[in-house]
Amino acid sequence: MFKAHLLSWILWFPLLGIILVWFVPRDKVRLIKWITFLALLFDLVLSCVLLKDFNFAESGFQFVEKANWIELINAKYFLGVDGISVLFVPLSVLVSVLCVLISWDSIKYRVKEFYLCLLFTNIAMVGVFCALDLFLFYVFWEAMLIPLYLIIGIWGGPRRIYATLKFFLYTFFGSIFMFVAILYLFIKTGTFDYLELSRHSFPIEVEKLLFLGFAFAFAVKIPMWPVHTWLPDAHTEAPTAGSVILAGILIKIGAYGLLRFCLPLFPHASLYFSKLILILSVIAIIYGGLACLAQEDLKRLIAYSSVSHMGFVTLGIFSFNPVAIKGAILQMINHGIVTGALFMCVGIIYDRTKTRQISYYGGLASTMPFYAALFMIFTLASIGLPGTNGFVGEFMILLGTFLKCKAIVFFAALGVIIGAAYMLWLYQRVFFQNVSENVKNLPGLKFNEIAAVLPMVFFVFLIGLYPKVVLAFMDTSVKALLLYLK
Amino acid sequence: MAYLNFNVIGLELLFFLIGCLLFFVKDFIKKEQAAFFLSLVTLLFALIFVFFLPFGDFTQSFRLDFFSSSMKFLMIFGGILILLLSRGYFNKYLVLNYPEYFGLLFFSLLGSFVMVSAMDLLTFYIAIELMSFPVYFLIAMGYKINKKGIEGAFKYFFLGVFSSVFFILGIAILYAYTGSFFFKDLIFVLGKKGTHWEILLGALFVIAGLSIKLSFVPFHMWAPDAYEGASLPITAFMSGIIKFSVLATLVKVMLMAFFPLRIEIGKIFLPIVLLTILGGNLMAIKQQNLVRMLAYSSIAHAGYASLGFIIADFTGYTFTVFYAFTYMIMSIGAFGLVAWLESCDKRLVEIPNLGILGKKNGLVSFLILLFMFSLAGIPPTAGFVAKFYLLLGLVKAGSWLIAVLVLLFSVIGAYPYIRVVKCVYMDKALEKVELRPFKWEFWLPIGLCSVLILLMGIYPQPFASFFYKTMFLYLSFFYFGS
Repeated sequence: MFKAHLLSWILWFPLLGIILVWFVPRDKVRLIKWITFLALLFDLVLSCVLLKDFNFAESGFQFVEKANWIELINAKYFLGVDGISVLFVPLSVLVSVLCVLISWDSIKYRVKEFYLCLLFTNIAMVGVFCALDLFLFYVFWEAMLIPLYLIIGIWGGPRRIYATLKFFLYTFFGSIFMFVAILYLFIKTGTFDYLELSRHSFPIEVEKLLFLGFAFAFAVKIPMWPVHTWLPDAHTEAPTAGSVILAGILIKIGAYGLLRFCLPLFPHASLYFSKLILILSVIAIIYGGLACLAQEDLKRLIAYSSVSHMGFVTLGIFSFNPVAIKGAILQMINHGIVTGALFMCVGIIYDRTKTRQISYYGGLASTMPFYAALFMIFTLASIGLPGTNGFVGEFMILLGTFLKCKAIVFFAALGVIIGAAYMLWLYQRVFFQNVSENVKNLPGLKFNEIAAVLPMVFFVFLIGLYPKVVLAFMDTSVKALLLYLK
Repeated sequence: MAYLNFNVIGLELLFFLIGCLLFFVKDFIKKEQAAFFLSLVTLLFALIFVFFLPFGDFTQSFRLDFFSSSMKFLMIFGGILILLLSRGYFNKYLVLNYPEYFGLLFFSLLGSFVMVSAMDLLTFYIAIELMSFPVYFLIAMGYKINKKGIEGAFKYFFLGVFSSVFFILGIAILYAYTGSFFFKDLIFVLGKKGTHWEILLGALFVIAGLSIKLSFVPFHMWAPDAYEGASLPITAFMSGIIKFSVLATLVKVMLMAFFPLRIEIGKIFLPIVLLTILGGNLMAIKQQNLVRMLAYSSIAHAGYASLGFIIADFTGYTFTVFYAFTYMIMSIGAFGLVAWLESCDKRLVEIPNLGILGKKNGLVSFLILLFMFSLAGIPPTAGFVAKFYLLLGLVKAGSWLIAVLVLLFSVIGAYPYIRVVKCVYMDKALEKVELRPFKWEFWLPIGLCSVLILLMGIYPQPFASFFYKTMFLYLSFFYFGS
């Protein structure tokens, strides 16, 4: 009973938290935080059970649950995970748990609403990764906008309202084309079931249009180069937890969508458009990196670095090579961990100084040495230094892409160098140089902040030194995925 | 016909008698709440009573069948919500508490009941007038609290006269060509003679007449003024129940009288509907007043609902009715919330002043959030599901380009709603405003609406199949039975 419905348990357990928090009076702030924390922690334990019971040898979907939902349109409540999605479920929950920790003291007003939003986001994120019914997927996909709209808009920085409206309208606009494509698929096949759909094939012209419909929605979420402009605003203005969720999970959903839906459902169109997407990815890598060099705002810099890193992910996915695709999935996880942690680190000093200007800081290394060490670890992981997780992902992507197109790898590798430049320069400006007057008397790290960041350090080294813990999950599923493209 | 089956019109008789009684109730009972309780009890009784009436004809002009009785059931349900909201609204504006208010409401409902049961064009016309006239008075009654009441009532009245003129002209043309008012004769002649431009012209005028009631875009000007001028429960009544009943009846007329012409009529609807959606959404963006914003959104939603006429098949019509019902629930809830806001303080009706709410009343803020996202069509709410069905129909009919356009318009249309949410949750409180308690007269109907919205959004199956079956039963009854 429990094992058979494990995914539903993971998905809906935070609902219990929502119901409990709902009935807590709004001034009992500590109780609200503890309920949220414990609910998500228990959810994390459940998702560890999921990892433990996952069968590496099987390429298909596991923990499948299927029930009729809306008979009239043949939509089903259909959940399942395979090697591609299984890792994102615990990652989403982990990020949510750490978000509770990092927001423990920094969210000061409307605490109840904040934690309700956080729990709701968690449900939607896990739902997106588990849903195998396109209708169900779309419901979770769109429902996620509601809490994130509020999180950015209520608890964000000075320009939060502009940022949140832009974020909302941009992603809403992006998903309408996917919506029409889903409708078309349903009309032609009479089902929203992912497994049945992947057995259908369409005329190549139709397939191209459908691919574009899906890919545009995902490209906005990732975000790929020409449609990335919502990201710097949203990531910058969001509160720390919002940035962590956006960087850690939300933009992975776009790349996950490409892997899960675009490649298997529209293999010919994927091959047809792969050149275009590879070029866009390279532009994103270089453009994102160069944009980082020009930033004066800490969070904006890290936001642009996300554009660059996600360029690597799309590059890996569209190389159609097992190594590159595994590298891309690994890079998605790495980016979630590293960029999430970097946003947390920025949030920690933002809480103390209320500014994100790089020029405001200087010499932090001598006032907050432990913090500086943590930041260094994530900086190096973001650059992709061997021994950290960033190295493994980028290396695998570049290796796989090399087999497909050498010229592209050349430009992509340039992006790695630019990456090292902007991150190290950032580190130098904030942590070294003369000790600025502004940062002389900053208090050290609090317990909740250390507790939020340390797990990330653990994963940086775990994946960096022994990537097999992650790669073992996806081997067979990636092989099965590539069969569609033969 | 020698024998008239009065059981068939039992509901109408009940409403007529109680409606008359309501005008005199203060002569018998001196209590202030007498009229309210009498009408509430009657409506609750009618909600059950409607299931016990036999199906059949009353003369050739009136027929009670499964479709019309289920539509009546939904209207009565909406009427109860409006009644409760009115009660709450009167706590503040006691000057409105006339027994006539309830009597007029009853007569308007009576008109819409007759309308969905009408079997010929003349009955249809008279029923529309019966439905509209009490509403003119009800809007004008808003003059007691709001000087714009008279303006709104006049605008609505004059356009209502236009509507009647168009409608009668349409009927006349149709009569001249087919020699009959009855739906069954119309469809017979159409089936025999095929499409003719005279009939299309007649249908066009009939649609033009109805589009004033539905506030389609070239004829939408009255709506914001009338909605703003009326007292807010009446606004909810206009945008919820009247639009629902007109759309339901239009669907019925399409099926019973103009079915062979459905494709051509769909082509007539196409530009109107697209303009209505675009215009309503665009004009809603700039509004500062919540009521005016919702009025323009009501225009756009009438457009969404009418997409079913473009789809022009059985499922399209079904989902038009489904959408109209969903919108009825959403708009009663939304205007109910506005009614509560206005009864707290008039300044709260301005959108930028809503910032106070998020600080003081979490429940109401959440309800506003829910209704706004539902109106914008974001899952998991009913607004999404209803729109989904219609777009599915559009793509199925091959007009996926229209579907893309409608979706683009709905992205534009999302802005005014999320702006309201922004003002509630993210803006600073501009002025000091005292909020009144959110009493049962408000939370009961609004809560019912919100539960329905969530239920229809998460598990729409029973609702959608209810409408599907209603229409299907109706169709089979019409074509194979009787």
